[in-house]
Amino acid sequence: MIRLQPQAATLPDQPAVGHTVRSMDAAIDVQHLNAYYGTKQVVRDVTFVARQRAVTAIIGPSGSGKSTVLRSLNRMLEVVPSARIEGKILFHGIDIYGRDIDPAAVRRTIGMVFQQPNPFPTMSIYDNVVAAARFNGLVKGRAQSDELLERCLRQAALWDEVKDSLGKSGASLSGGQQQRLCIARALAVNPEAILMDEPCSALDPIATLQIEQLARDLAQTYAIVIVTHNMQQAARASDDTVFMSVDEQRAGYVVETGPTSQIFTNPTNKTTEDYITGRFG
Amino acid sequence: MLLLCLAAGAIALLPLVLVLFYLLSEGLKAWSPAFLVSPPGGGVTTKGGGALNAIVGTLEMTGLGLAIAAPLGLAVALYVAEYREGRMAVVVRTAVDLVAGIPSIVIGLFVYSIVVVTMGHFSGYAGAIALSLIMLPIIARTSEEMFKIVPRQLREGTMALAMPRWRAIVSVYIPTVATGIVTGIVLAVSRAIGETAPLLFTALGSSFVVTDMNRPMSALPLYMFQNALNIGFPAAVQRAWAAALTLVAIVLLFNVLGRWLASRMLLKGR
Amino acid sequence: MTAETAPAPTDTPGAFIRQRRMSLGDPLLGWGVRILSWLAFLAIVVMLLDTALHSIKLLEHTSLWDFVTGTAWQPASLVYGALPFIYGTVVTSTIALLIAVPLALGAALLVNEYLPSRAATPVAYGIELLAAVPSVVYGFWGVIVLVPALRVLEEAVAGSPAGQFPLFSGPVPGPSYFAAGVILAIMILPIVTSVARDAMRATPRLQREGALALGATHWETIRHVVLPFARGGIFAGVILGLSRAIGETIAVLFVIGNQPQINASIFAPGYSLPSVIASEFAEANQPFHPEALIGLGVVLFVLSFAVNLLARGVVGRFEAHAGGADVR
Repeated sequence: MIRLQPQAATLPDQPAVGHTVRSMDAAIDVQHLNAYYGTKQVVRDVTFVARQRAVTAIIGPSGSGKSTVLRSLNRMLEVVPSARIEGKILFHGIDIYGRDIDPAAVRRTIGMVFQQPNPFPTMSIYDNVVAAARFNGLVKGRAQSDELLERCLRQAALWDEVKDSLGKSGASLSGGQQQRLCIARALAVNPEAILMDEPCSALDPIATLQIEQLARDLAQTYAIVIVTHNMQQAARASDDTVFMSVDEQRAGYVVETGPTSQIFTNPTNKTTEDYITGRFG
Repeated sequence: MLLLCLAAGAIALLPLVLVLFYLLSEGLKAWSPAFLVSPPGGGVTTKGGGALNAIVGTLEMTGLGLAIAAPLGLAVALYVAEYREGRMAVVVRTAVDLVAGIPSIVIGLFVYSIVVVTMGHFSGYAGAIALSLIMLPIIARTSEEMFKIVPRQLREGTMALAMPRWRAIVSVYIPTVATGIVTGIVLAVSRAIGETAPLLFTALGSSFVVTDMNRPMSALPLYMFQNALNIGFPAAVQRAWAAALTLVAIVLLFNVLGRWLASRMLLKGR
Repeated sequence: MTAETAPAPTDTPGAFIRQRRMSLGDPLLGWGVRILSWLAFLAIVVMLLDTALHSIKLLEHTSLWDFVTGTAWQPASLVYGALPFIYGTVVTSTIALLIAVPLALGAALLVNEYLPSRAATPVAYGIELLAAVPSVVYGFWGVIVLVPALRVLEEAVAGSPAGQFPLFSGPVPGPSYFAAGVILAIMILPIVTSVARDAMRATPRLQREGALALGATHWETIRHVVLPFARGGIFAGVILGLSRAIGETIAVLFVIGNQPQINASIFAPGYSLPSVIASEFAEANQPFHPEALIGLGVVLFVLSFAVNLLARGVVGRFEAHAGGADVR
């Protein structure tokens, strides 16, 4: 058994193994989520909790449905015509798939950052950050926009680097900077949680570390859920871990969930241990 | 085999060389800047005179035609590419595509039947409508292709930010493909400027410099056509060559512009 | 490079998720797009129907069969037969294809396979420029330059032993089916070349390399790999060229001679569907003359419509076949 450096706990009392968590802590509560593309089941009976003010990592080999689960959390999955889900996803107790819930409101509240940084190519850095907020009516007028811009760029640790070139195109930045720009943009619409779908896989190691640090910092305010195929990243950057794998029917399922330190040093499930120690995946 | 292909290539390019050669040699003889701004002296059998009536007519009819075809073309493209509504979108698109395959003389007949007969007379409006039918499929098709290559990541980005759909279209997708759309428009205009047949029974042509689109008016290709038919009159032949040179110069200019724009596109499709 | 914290997003977590906002722009744009698209569609359909209705009036005078198969066209005597023009359109298009397709294939091979790209680009561009020249310019140039030049050639052939065949017999007045065919060939060359080039370019590199690895020469690779693979696309290009040739009006009008007759010799003058409409419509004063011309337009429309459907069918099959075969 490999002993990894345990993560410093962010809460004084560690939750027990498994996911019995005080419900007040739960930002996103996933209950028995099943996802299908047409008739093919891709995710089976997924249950876990993403806590407020913590980083939850979803790890696992490719094909284990991690991204599918993530996209269910902000109702991006349903954009694919054949996709549908069963089960319940609660955000602070509210069913986000409820009949009277507007998907756009869900996506404003639960933001997302993608694998490939995707700043709007025809907009300046300024507009990239502020446009969506403006279109959603969150800011009016130049003064409010300026204020929002600075706040979000500072939050994303990008302000100092771009504050003198806000008019430049969003696409003119480096990969790591573009990703931070996308994070700033997501922050601008005032979310309460942020989902990250392998945000560092297109970035160099230094930019990767910067994003990881950023995720930890943002977790002081938001609930962060990050999908990653990089185990070390999960070990470094997260508080809780959800480990998923693929079953014989090629559907993803949750093998084990728990605090990161416990998953990586003392997993209860053999499959988890095999994955952590590199025996598969 | 290489020799055969070389011969084929040479033969293929020969007409271009010959046409350009005659255009330049005969056209330059007859052309002067005054040609563009002087009205014709009288009918096609008179001496001298310029093509101002044709220039004005081309500008007005192509301009109005574009004002009709561009919004319609964009709408159809958006309808098919973004608001895909199953069968109806396919029907509209097929209809517009088929217009592209209709001979331009038949388009002239169409517009004659509906517009000229109803109005009771030939007019610049009818000509503009005919030209818009020529331009519509080109604009619709290139714009549709452009919308189709908007990257998935861009779309996902706008959705994750809860942008209203119309905002995403107007403020993100269209600016991203704007150069491609403009290229399509430039190509469409370039085509319309050179068309004679659709104008024959719609705008009819006129020896007078006409700005009122409610009356028959001339256009560069029409002007050239009417002069060119009178091969027996040297003055008419001269004017025809001058008009030919003007026409080809304009069309080539648009062609080069279109290519330049295409090279500067943000997103490159197929 | 530290991140700063933001004020806590909200006191009641999840409150904003219940928001519902009206976005006026969405229905506005959506309906605007739909209405405009439908307008365009309706305009096209109405025009089609109206033209057809206008031409139906001709049936009061001549039956459909007599119209389509009638060999005489004498408006002064109120005789309207479409066959001379159908014949002329078919003959000129055929000549155009016979000339243009081999040239296009040769040029496509030249540009794609043989020339280095520095030379290939201007040659390809030059061929494409042929398409940019307006048809009235081709027509005028054709009657002044091409017809006299071709006449020399035609007279030589007509005077030679080949002139014994009705196909190549004299007299040779100048404007002819052949001249029209040549002009059309020039005009359709760019599109056939362009489509052929695309079709050839789509040959998977894997196949090509496989042949070369077996010791095939360049030409053998072209002959046994590229051309067979591109066959569907080339055929599509030919159909597209045909479609263009059928509908060409002005250029043909100048060089075909404008004689409503049916003549076996390709050196004789004739007429085509589009060019007679263009020539006679303005002066069509006889009873049923305009309707007959519109009727010719309907025939032309049906003809080009059929060819277009064929083209789409072939293109569709070609793309389905070639899709996914490319290995980069």
